[in-house]
Amino acid sequence: MMFAHGFGCDQNMWRYVWPAFADTYRIVLFDHVGLGGSDVGAYDRRKYDRLDGYAEDVLEICHELGLDDVVFVGHSVSAMIGVLAAAKEPERFGALILVGPSPRYVDDEGYRGGFSREDIEGLLDSMDSNYLGWSATIAPVIMGTPDRPELGDELTNTFCRADPDIARHFAEVTFLSDNRADLARVRTPALVLQCANDAIAPVSVGEYVHRHLRGSELVMLDAVGHCPNLSAPEQTVAAIKRYLEG
Amino acid sequence: MSVERSPASVTTDLSEATAEELFEDAPCAYLATDLDGLLIRVNRTFENWTGYRREDLIGKRRFSELLGGGGRIYHETHYAPLLMMQGSVREIALEIRRADGSLLPALVNSVLRHDSSGQPRVIRTTIFDATDRRRYERELLAAREREHEIAHRLQRSMLTGALPSGEGFELAVYYESAEEMLEAGGDWYDAFWLSERTVALVCGDIVGRGLEAAATMGQLRSAVRALASTGLEPAALLNAMDGYCRRHRIGATTTLIYAVLDLDERRLSFACAGHPPLALVAPDRDPRFVWDGRSWPLDVGFGERERAQATWSLPAGSTVLLYTDGLVERRRETLEDRMGLLLEQLAAHRGEPVSRSVPAMAAALAPPPRDDDVCVLGLTLR
Repeated sequence: MMFAHGFGCDQNMWRYVWPAFADTYRIVLFDHVGLGGSDVGAYDRRKYDRLDGYAEDVLEICHELGLDDVVFVGHSVSAMIGVLAAAKEPERFGALILVGPSPRYVDDEGYRGGFSREDIEGLLDSMDSNYLGWSATIAPVIMGTPDRPELGDELTNTFCRADPDIARHFAEVTFLSDNRADLARVRTPALVLQCANDAIAPVSVGEYVHRHLRGSELVMLDAVGHCPNLSAPEQTVAAIKRYLEG
Repeated sequence: MSVERSPASVTTDLSEATAEELFEDAPCAYLATDLDGLLIRVNRTFENWTGYRREDLIGKRRFSELLGGGGRIYHETHYAPLLMMQGSVREIALEIRRADGSLLPALVNSVLRHDSSGQPRVIRTTIFDATDRRRYERELLAAREREHEIAHRLQRSMLTGALPSGEGFELAVYYESAEEMLEAGGDWYDAFWLSERTVALVCGDIVGRGLEAAATMGQLRSAVRALASTGLEPAALLNAMDGYCRRHRIGATTTLIYAVLDLDERRLSFACAGHPPLALVAPDRDPRFVWDGRSWPLDVGFGERERAQATWSLPAGSTVLLYTDGLVERRRETLEDRMGLLLEQLAAHRGEPVSRSVPAMAAALAPPPRDDDVCVLGLTLR
């Protein structure tokens, strides 16, 4: 069972979810390149200029660990990364669990993603404004202070640490992506987990994904926000278990 | 006239302020929401700063709805997860949309409060007006961007200028810098007349990035031109460049290839200081790299040790290609593989005029977005 975190923070996003599956599944957690504890040196602008670059990494992990029949749990943009990986190598995957998926964030003719291009510009602005704050708080983490654990309390926002340039690029690639056409390429059974009030992937988008992913199931979670894995972990776990065991 | 107040009277004033007053008129905006972000309470400072009235907010609006679209994404992808994971968030820059639609730049802190059974119940948030701070940060960011832009422009301006042209040969160059948001590198090419029928070809790469690398590049480029005008042979010119770098403490470990081409004799003399090897496409032969005439990069402490130089006679119709590592290096691929691809490209574009093949090969081997500068110079002898 492989858990892939979305745009923003790192694999800690799954901390309340994966333990519930640890007794039945082999658990694979990772950070996307450029985020969390990943090797920033492995970042290649060309490779990660499309979500396919991230999907290749998912497949590479599968190959490296010799994984088959993978239950891929992807949050946010990683839901689509899982879709791309499963379209490319269907034989690797047993099921896709898509938490708050969106194949396109920006509105288009006849499609409502929920955001305008200006919103995405605004996001990049927010990230730029937060860059200075980050570098100051990240510094002690980078220096490492194992002999002074009390400093740990002083560090904030460490679960969302990222190289600012990479995070910005990831934001652009994520929020300007359009993977609507890729949904039809997937044959893997899929569960779409949709929050009743998701500010990023609205219900209509979840329904769109469900309609275009053949044989998929849509489950509504009674949760607000884009991260039910954090705000409603029990519901999230229960829905996944029901789907996998049912 | 100032009036001294005794510490005792200050204490008295403070104690008279009720907790309610301290909350309502705090020098920061203060609000509380439930776990879903629905506003439960806001203070008067928040009302004053934003123009909202509490009756329009309490129980009706979510905090994230008071942010712009971009801020909303940032809130959902960074702020909310962090708060859930670490129980508090500090100093996040967000913009609050006021009732009149204008934006209040703010620094926002939140803590998650738990009930007696340990369940998280309420989010308490303080908001500080960060208008001036944000302006200053924007100035800093703009200054950084300006420096990038100046470096790119400087580098580009030094690379423009007429290239030699004339009977019996065709010359083409390609230069693209790394992504705008990345700092300019220090790659350069040059081509100029040494005498009526002798042309000099140069390609170099400076370690480092940014304004300093661009300025260094300008100096080294001028130094090569000046030294070339004295008629130095390629290896001797590289040795002279070692001295230049050492004396002026500039450009150490730069890689450089310097070639002199006699157009009538079709004789190419060259010396290569640690630079990627020049590629040669001769008629009726497979494209290949030329591995002789090589020595170490500039000013790496080898003193005046003699450098290698090579001379090749080129058949008519030959093409010579000089380039920087941006054309052939790519993360996670071996240099051997990438150089093999360059040979394939040279074979595929054999016979085409360099004005077409050079940009085509650059586009095929190093498509955008680029991590590094890409610099290519190609010359065909007719």
